[in-house]
Amino acid sequence: MSVQEILADDHDQARASGAQAVVLSTRIRLARNLAGQPFPGWAKAPQRLEITERCITALTELPRFRRGHVLRMAQQTDLDRAVLVERHLVSKELASGQAGAAVISRDQTCSVMINEEDHLRVQVLRPGWHLRGTWNLAEQLDDALAGSLPLAFSESLGYLTACPTNVGTGLRASAMVHLPGLCLSGQMDKVTRALGQDGLAVRGWLGEGTEAAGNIFQISNQQTLGLSEDDILKHLGYWIKHLVEQEWNARRKLALDEGDKFVDRLARSFGVLRHARLLSSAEAMNMLSHLRLACDLGCLPEALRDQVDRLLIEGQPAHVQVRHGSALDSDGRDLRRAAVMRAALQAFPEVGPPTA
Amino acid sequence: MSLPLKCSLCAEVATVHLSQVVGGKVTKVHLCEACAGKGGAVDPAVFQLADALHAPGPPAELTCPQCGFTDVDFRKRGRLGCPACWEIFGGALSPLLVKVQHESAHVGRAPLGVAPLGQLRQRLAAARTAMAAAITAEDYEVAARLRDEIAGLEAALNPA
Repeated sequence: MSVQEILADDHDQARASGAQAVVLSTRIRLARNLAGQPFPGWAKAPQRLEITERCITALTELPRFRRGHVLRMAQQTDLDRAVLVERHLVSKELASGQAGAAVISRDQTCSVMINEEDHLRVQVLRPGWHLRGTWNLAEQLDDALAGSLPLAFSESLGYLTACPTNVGTGLRASAMVHLPGLCLSGQMDKVTRALGQDGLAVRGWLGEGTEAAGNIFQISNQQTLGLSEDDILKHLGYWIKHLVEQEWNARRKLALDEGDKFVDRLARSFGVLRHARLLSSAEAMNMLSHLRLACDLGCLPEALRDQVDRLLIEGQPAHVQVRHGSALDSDGRDLRRAAVMRAALQAFPEVGPPTA
Repeated sequence: MSLPLKCSLCAEVATVHLSQVVGGKVTKVHLCEACAGKGGAVDPAVFQLADALHAPGPPAELTCPQCGFTDVDFRKRGRLGCPACWEIFGGALSPLLVKVQHESAHVGRAPLGVAPLGQLRQRLAAARTAMAAAITAEDYEVAARLRDEIAGLEAALNPA
């Protein structure tokens, strides 16, 4: 199995569509470990290898992973690993080690990272905002997993994890949100503070320790112990609903207050993406964020949003190189990225005034 | 204007600046976003842990018989060695758990085949509160239904 197959897969198209105006995707992550086995960070290399193979065998027998992808990190090139990170299929931590693996469902909705910080990190990722549906899928997968592997669990502490920040439910529920309205109106610091005070973490596009390029943020629960899964989901759900409202208020106010200046800002970003010969990753993401906003507000046809979302992924450094067919230096990537954007935006109409 | 500082680990421009004071001596470390992320320095949850862990501590007093992990290892790494470590270090970790998690007991789901006692306890506590409220409100029909539910939950939690 190779990363090329994942990139070429028909399901890839479906995975990149269905995002909503504010919420790009919903994710559930469960941290699980095998009973009686040392955690990956403490296990010796042969133990890690044995655990990897044992988990791969158990996972590939589950119906959800039938005809899925099995990717052992040691067998992947640096570029392929980076592609997996950019597609949110594995974390940077898993990609940077040698002992880990990922088992990914055929439709790329479910993936399990093996030997990351914990033995198993079950992840379900769906486009748009579908907290309950995503959770139900993760719960089914968790039950299937418990039926085939002995999981480390304590009555008083719940699922036992390597790090105390995950013990209990082992659940990290998150939403990937696009907040150009709150960013452009300078409210993002206030929002981050408010969310932080109420137990939610705000991270960048690629998770922990990454910056928020393209006005895209990942919002997730911090607490995993002493709250039921239902409590955690309700809390996140409450805040995301509130955040979506705040974001729309900010967008409408900007459009109303700034008028032509606002449309000009979006149209200029379109112009740059449509004609530039060199584009850095950060610049492309920020301009694509404006284009996405233009689709949401009807300045561009809403149906084009899925294409913008695909470009957000295709503009990432590893994707640009893999699509090109070989590694490129920074200048080469910027040249190639600009060509990808120019070609994709050729069929786009002009940016007009908001209609939504 | 002075030149931007370079990352101590790679040649990128440093954007994260850490100062650590050990025994009165100040050490400064400059990191780029990526290297700082790897070390957990920009993740508040991990960093809070580091604060608690890097306090100078006594030599190892506890060792996990299953994997040989010690409390000194935990102070260094902030991660445990194996599931059995939770039993050995659980008591010592309690204050840390309350600090980072605000709670110290699980109330969520359990693997298939394991009774979800945490959930049952939570339901029992809720039913007792609701029954007290129903009695105060003289809603005896609801109170009777809750009494039966409480009896059922108690039986499930304390099988004879």
